[in-house]
Amino acid sequence: MNEITSQTPALQLSDVSKSFGPIDVLQGLNLDIRPGERHAVIGPNGAGKSTLFNLISGMFAPSSGDIRLEGNSIGGLSPHLINRAGLARSFQITNIFHRMTVFENLRIGVMARHQVRYGLFRSAAGMRRVNDETADVLNRVGLEARAQSMAGDLTYSEQRALEIGMTLTTGADVILLDEPTAGMSREETAKAAELIRKVTEGKTLLMVEHDMSVVFSLCDRVSVLVYGRILATDTPERISANREVQEAYLGQEGAQ
Amino acid sequence: MEFAIISTLNGVTYGLLLFMVSAGLTLIFGMMGVLNFAHASFYMLGAYVAYAVSSIFGFWTGILVAPIVVGLVGMAVERFLLPRVHAHGHAHELLLTFGLALIIEELIKLFFGDFPVNYQMPEALRFSAFEIFGTGYPFYRMFIGAVAVIMFTVLWLLLTRTRTGIVVRAAERLPQMAEALGHNIPIVFMFVFGTGAALAGLAGAVAGAFYPTNPNMGIELGVIVFVVVVVGGLGSLKGSLVASLLIGLFSSFAVGLDWSIAGMFDVVGLGDWARSVGGLLTLELSSVSATIPFALMLIVLLVRPAGLMGERN
Amino acid sequence: MTSIQKILLALLLVLLIAVPPFLGLGWQNALINVLISSLFALAFNLLNGQAGLLSFGHAAYFGVGAFAALHLMIAVEDGLFFPTPLLPLAGGLAGLVVGVVAGYFSTMRSGVYFALVTLAIAELFHSLAPHLEGTFGGEAGVSSMRMPWMGLGFGTIIEVYYLTLGWVVLCGLALWAYTRTPFGRLTLALRDNEQRVKFLGYNAHYAKVIVFAVSAMMTGVAGALLAISNETANYSLFSGSVSAQVVLQTFVGGSTVFFGPVIGATVFTLFSFLISDLTRSWLFYQGLIFVLVMLYAPTGIGGVIGHHIRNRRQLDLAKIGGPYLVALGGGILIAAGTVFLTESAEVLFGQDYAMARDGASGGFPAYDLFGLSWSPLNPVTWLVPLVLLCGGVFILIRARRVIDRLWARKDEATTADMTVGAGGKE
Repeated sequence: MNEITSQTPALQLSDVSKSFGPIDVLQGLNLDIRPGERHAVIGPNGAGKSTLFNLISGMFAPSSGDIRLEGNSIGGLSPHLINRAGLARSFQITNIFHRMTVFENLRIGVMARHQVRYGLFRSAAGMRRVNDETADVLNRVGLEARAQSMAGDLTYSEQRALEIGMTLTTGADVILLDEPTAGMSREETAKAAELIRKVTEGKTLLMVEHDMSVVFSLCDRVSVLVYGRILATDTPERISANREVQEAYLGQEGAQ
Repeated sequence: MEFAIISTLNGVTYGLLLFMVSAGLTLIFGMMGVLNFAHASFYMLGAYVAYAVSSIFGFWTGILVAPIVVGLVGMAVERFLLPRVHAHGHAHELLLTFGLALIIEELIKLFFGDFPVNYQMPEALRFSAFEIFGTGYPFYRMFIGAVAVIMFTVLWLLLTRTRTGIVVRAAERLPQMAEALGHNIPIVFMFVFGTGAALAGLAGAVAGAFYPTNPNMGIELGVIVFVVVVVGGLGSLKGSLVASLLIGLFSSFAVGLDWSIAGMFDVVGLGDWARSVGGLLTLELSSVSATIPFALMLIVLLVRPAGLMGERN
Repeated sequence: MTSIQKILLALLLVLLIAVPPFLGLGWQNALINVLISSLFALAFNLLNGQAGLLSFGHAAYFGVGAFAALHLMIAVEDGLFFPTPLLPLAGGLAGLVVGVVAGYFSTMRSGVYFALVTLAIAELFHSLAPHLEGTFGGEAGVSSMRMPWMGLGFGTIIEVYYLTLGWVVLCGLALWAYTRTPFGRLTLALRDNEQRVKFLGYNAHYAKVIVFAVSAMMTGVAGALLAISNETANYSLFSGSVSAQVVLQTFVGGSTVFFGPVIGATVFTLFSFLISDLTRSWLFYQGLIFVLVMLYAPTGIGGVIGHHIRNRRQLDLAKIGGPYLVALGGGILIAAGTVFLTESAEVLFGQDYAMARDGASGGFPAYDLFGLSWSPLNPVTWLVPLVLLCGGVFILIRARRVIDRLWARKDEATTADMTVGAGGKE
């Protein structure tokens, strides 16, 4: 029995490595995410951010090392078990059910939470609590007007909002968002950041983000991932002042 | 000993024949993502074209003409039919070729009848390659194997040593990139499809003179070839070679073995009980040799779901 | 379901109940086959249309259902008490059990792999069945008799028809209800995006096995109904042609519409009842129809009808009806030309004609087709199909151009409506 105290990290990576054949993508990664904090992972392209998310969420198993969610080891479990343990993720490339309505997209996740995963002997339309809760998520991500639209017909930023909404539906306490504002205009980005702040209230958030304005406005701490290693983890202000980080990442970005 | 050597020889030749057909299927799938259900029909078409041509112009002309005709049919399918359903996804391409397989089978029945046709090797090839344990081993089996080996050597050289081969392999990995570099990928696709079909046609022309040539030969070999690609891993030429030989050997050994599950129970003294139960337990391996490939496939799926050499799913 | 659809379905049901007693035995039998293949296609399409898993081996579960029912019938003959009307339960149960095992294996892979594995599992049954005397009766198969139950003799075809109708309607409704359950919605999600389903906390493999098993169970019921009707079955029920039939019927009927497969099953089964005596090339025509549907109307008959119903408000039927009739005429000409060529080939390459040639000492004697005599050496013989084909293609292309223009105008009209707000009708 694990005693969960405020000292137990919401998410803890210890010495995690991952290689694909001869290529080491992540090497000896250590990362502690505190309960309730908003944490960003930044880093140049090819640094291994997506791989990191794929390891945590169960897409791949780590080659070595341990991943713990609220004290329980989840490294190498399949995605659905990790989700049930309380971790949900979004995808960088929109990953929704295109030929279903927005409402149904969200309801699939809510159903999972209410243990009606494989219900065959009841009507989907008659599940009051599930439908109410779906409507609630729908409102929170601001898509109530599009409830009956096909998800594939939404605009890009609406699809991104749906993507975030879907990660909320299963009731996970730890949320992973993979570049939630990628490809958005400045205006849309600001809106999305506000949405993320609102909906992750009281939850632990780990996000990959390129837009530094989002990182500064939203996050408590930032980790810099470069060539498969964590270079530094600190508050956004201190990270931006860090010389090593500037050289490795921000400088490079600024030069572009 | 005699049984082991003969079975090995038969198994290897049959395996090479399987590889002749599955190689084209694998090549086409690897490049275009199209699983050509009609591929085994091309094999059958090859046999019938060779039969029709050889009855007038002689055996060797038939062998030569069949792959050309079948290759052209394949190119026409790739050029005129597949693009129409491409937008609807790979499942529709599979369904279209499935429909083509049915049409080819029915056309064959229409023109050549439901029964086997008398397609035979010439007398000049009907001799024993060598004597083994007092019986002659047919030269033609060796001939089938040799054609397969020559074909693969040529194919391999083409793929690795020529400019076109390099483009083909590039197009297999990254079609858009190869196209951006100025190669005419649609033409390359068409030729690969045609070559794959021609290989199947050649296999049919050669093998049809040894095995029976009838309207069922396509689907009968087809299912085995599909098992080969599942076991070997779709898109992997090496995998389909290994799987072809494996299934060839398993099948040829099974034909001669009267093992049964009841026999295995004898070892622990339960043989009589098993025989009283009957059914599956007393079935002899030799009588279910046709089932072996499918059972093998299920075992491979359990142990290595991606196939022996496959990585992509 | 809209109320119109409900009324239509009720009407259909009334017809299916009221008309058959007045039909001949041949038609009653044909209708039984229509019902059975409809259920088979619906069950197949649960997997194909709802879950997006294309199976090429559904003959396995159809056959298993049939044999299970026959074994139960034999037991009833031997004195076991079991109500005859409930025999299909045996088929459903057998289909379910085999479906769980087969589904476990086949759903380990997706896409074309799945199709190949299902095909191979069916071939496993097909190759094994003739060797298992006890279970599948060897090459001869298993036979039994329907036993009377509670005053119902089940000796006449009409009794079997009503039994079949009852079960098909029941299972059809159950399959419809399935789409409304939470799991039915999850099934659609699996088709759309299996990966996301996993990341929402579902065991996707487990879910796919359940869909597969339900589909196999309903297929087993259909197989059992066939066994009850025929009172016999042999290993050929496992053959690839049975699996192929259901694929053809489903896609020609339309896999994207719930009742589409029923259309395909009905059309094909009735056609084969009506014309299989007239030609041996029925399978060829089936393949041709299937390929043409795949090329020109991938959503099938049901999909095309649905498309027109959805757009009925914007379509001017009076205007588009004419070109449609012309197109139909073109299609009939093409069909006539194709049939002429096919049937001619069947005659000319047949054994009877070879004998006739021997009789005519190697010449090419005339042959009979459609009540006329044709000489293979007379150019007119080949001019007829040529004119039919060319004329048909010409008419069809012209008509299609007009139809396309009308549809395009309809699209313009709708956009104009939207921009102007209250736009007039043309």
